[in-house]
Amino acid sequence: MMEETLTKKPVVRKPKKGKRQPMTWSLIKNQRQLIWMSVPLLAYIILFSYVPIWGWTMAFQDYKPALDFADQKWVGFKHFKFLFLDDNFLRVLRNTLAMSVINLVLGFVTAIVLALLLNEIKKVFWKRTVQTISYLPHFLSWVIVTGIVATTLASDGIVNDVLMKLHLIKEPILWLSEGHYFWGVVGASHVWKEVGWNTIIYLAAMSSIDPALYEAAEIDGASRYKKMFHVTLPGIKPTIVILLIMSIGHILEAGFEVQYLLGNGLVVDWAETIDIFVLKYGIAQGNYSLATAGGIFKTVVSVTMLLIANWIAKRLGEERLL
Amino acid sequence: MGGKSKSVIRLGMIMLLSFSFILAGCGGSDKTATSGDAKAGNEASGGSGEGKPEPFEITAFIGEAGQQPTPDNKIYKKIKDELGVTFKFEFLAGDLNQKLGVMIAGSDYPDIMTGNTKLTAAGAYIPLEDLIEEHAPNLKKHYEKYWNMMKDPNDGHIYILPNYGAYNGEVSSTWYSGPAFWIQKAVLEEAGYPKVKTLDEYFDLIAKYKEKHPNIDGKPTIGFEILNYDWKNWGLFNAPQHLIGHPNDGSVVVNDGKAEIFADKDYAKRYYQKLNEINAKGLIDKETFTQNFDQYLAKISSGTVLGMFDQHWNFQNAENALITQKKHERTYVGLPLVYDEGTRDYYLDRPALNLNNGFGISVNAKDPVKIIKLWDRLIQEDWQKILSWGIEGEDYIVNEKGRFMKTQEQRDKFTDATWKLANKADTLYSFSPKMQGFFSDGNATDGAAQPEEYQAGLEEYDKKFLKAYGFNSYVDFFSPAPENPIYYPAWSVDLVEGSEAKIVNTKQNDLSTKFLPKAILANPSDFDSVWTEYTNEIHKLNIKAYEDRINEVLQWRIENWSVK
Repeated sequence: MMEETLTKKPVVRKPKKGKRQPMTWSLIKNQRQLIWMSVPLLAYIILFSYVPIWGWTMAFQDYKPALDFADQKWVGFKHFKFLFLDDNFLRVLRNTLAMSVINLVLGFVTAIVLALLLNEIKKVFWKRTVQTISYLPHFLSWVIVTGIVATTLASDGIVNDVLMKLHLIKEPILWLSEGHYFWGVVGASHVWKEVGWNTIIYLAAMSSIDPALYEAAEIDGASRYKKMFHVTLPGIKPTIVILLIMSIGHILEAGFEVQYLLGNGLVVDWAETIDIFVLKYGIAQGNYSLATAGGIFKTVVSVTMLLIANWIAKRLGEERLL
Repeated sequence: MGGKSKSVIRLGMIMLLSFSFILAGCGGSDKTATSGDAKAGNEASGGSGEGKPEPFEITAFIGEAGQQPTPDNKIYKKIKDELGVTFKFEFLAGDLNQKLGVMIAGSDYPDIMTGNTKLTAAGAYIPLEDLIEEHAPNLKKHYEKYWNMMKDPNDGHIYILPNYGAYNGEVSSTWYSGPAFWIQKAVLEEAGYPKVKTLDEYFDLIAKYKEKHPNIDGKPTIGFEILNYDWKNWGLFNAPQHLIGHPNDGSVVVNDGKAEIFADKDYAKRYYQKLNEINAKGLIDKETFTQNFDQYLAKISSGTVLGMFDQHWNFQNAENALITQKKHERTYVGLPLVYDEGTRDYYLDRPALNLNNGFGISVNAKDPVKIIKLWDRLIQEDWQKILSWGIEGEDYIVNEKGRFMKTQEQRDKFTDATWKLANKADTLYSFSPKMQGFFSDGNATDGAAQPEEYQAGLEEYDKKFLKAYGFNSYVDFFSPAPENPIYYPAWSVDLVEGSEAKIVNTKQNDLSTKFLPKAILANPSDFDSVWTEYTNEIHKLNIKAYEDRINEVLQWRIENWSVK
């Protein structure tokens, strides 16, 4: 993600808007090294991103692993019907969207705030330390993180201990057995795990802001907060927009591990996401076709959302992905 | 600008390099795989003369995670020296269904594979009945009584050789690994070793003990645990069938060969209402429904849990931890509880034939005759003794009465996993056909089933405990197992992947996972309304499809399994 946006910049700026260089043999010859270098990447994308689309045919069959393609039974939209007509589907979709939106909003706000704060710290050692500590959890797998979350939220865990000591609550709260808390717990775990990592890209964007702008603002008498709001934030706006567009494409990816590992019977109405549903009724039953149908649904939604977000960004005159 | 575009190129180069590495890596592993296969093929096709053993390699897929034996393993070396056979095991790493999917898609099978209905359905095994009739008289004799049961319900062929459950003579064991209401020995000891028969007595004992000892080793005492995590759901689901005196048939109760679900029945309600009642008294762990399996084991290992409904093998590791800590009074006794005094408990069952679980020979095996002949040789008593007990004098001793015993040192070694990798052929033994019961000289086929060996290995605490009850082993707490009904057990019915029956079953489990905790934790006055909601939801499902599938297979078993 980081490389893409960082490396994109010089490429975007070079050609003058509106005017395209005509494609000529001499141009191709000129750029032949570049063209050759892009061949493996192109091959990689075709091989791993386009060829597998062929597998979508499985969604319209009763797919059996050992049979040849010609021997598969075609069933039309049967699996899509099962997916969309199931009583639980709406609930599962609601949970997925809700947790996704919570993660998106919380993730963006906390990461940007933390980046702004870190950017203001002048002592390099202190800044680096905070940054390192805050991004380390990113490298833990969710299995470990959910273990930590479950322990901290246990009835004798640190969260309850602190709240009891502060006399905010009288009885320990069972955070994980109350459905209403579940989305919040998931959102908070995401923030804890990813906030440091997400700030890296904003800090990088901030470091490329022209220092002259700050000096000019200072001469004009801008306070520290004014500089943050009128120099730093506008400076990283293109980055924010690009990241937002890409995240909106993943709106149906509310995550799978967290909900799967933290969920239990008491909170299932809030915890089950599309991925878990597809796992339970698709892959776990050997029904690969249903799993594929679920995948197609998610992809279609993702692409649509991506295009919409991109279009909106274009209307607002912001940087775009496509 | 210039600097930036240079770094872009550098970045590009790095990515290019790493991709080429990945691609190279893929290609390489492919090559080694095929060359390995070719080698196995060559060796397999080389000669099949009798007498002097020709070197012969068998490749095997084991459908569960495991560890490779050491290269100089004592038993495998003996097999190689005397029978000329070497084994190459591939253990499961990761998800079984995924691995099977890949194997099936490419018809990429080793010589032998552990049983799985997916593989059978894909036609990956060869029929064995003619091979056994022709080349394996000992194997035929071993399975004689069970011959019809081994046949596949769909086409009547034998594909898998069951690894457990073919007994000669009376079944006896000193070890119970199945389901029960477990209770800490300390609770019974303090109550003066009472005989506990009913659910009410059980919870009374726990309540009294917890009241008297609110803390154990400084931590709050937990009265009762119910584990319902992932596929380990029997802690919550399965108890009602046992409480009315039925054996473990999974989620159905079978009467006269007819199965019906019990989740919505009144005797199930009685159990969950009791749990609701004891929860109101604070006996159930508050976190019991949110804990994962590790947390559950951790609680049991701490010695603070007084009781739970579970299968012994499931919390075995936690109990071993208690033994290591020398907290013998915190280990557990299984109690076969029922609702009413007059009901005969049926927890202990006779081991049923372990279908779909041993080895089968794959369609790719070059020389099935040799493989079946190997098993025919290994099923004979001399090899069975080596595989089970080890080498006489090294791993066990024969006392003056001709009984097999172990010294304490040998006993300790048998619980040491590292020692076993070098000195036991456990992978081969556990999935191969095996004698169970007794050898012709009267010794048990398994160390744990040899009564005097079991007694000698008992801890002081347990000796005293059993003496107080006048029992020989903890299995004596259970009523002796009656003869199994011919169709038993219903839980081994293959529901068929993706069928309506399977989906209904999944949905029913989802409902139970959701509603039962709610009902148990509800205010006692609300219990009835939650229960009604729960049963209404169940009745919306097509339960009949599920019951029909089970009954269909039970009927098939009654018709085909009867020993003629």
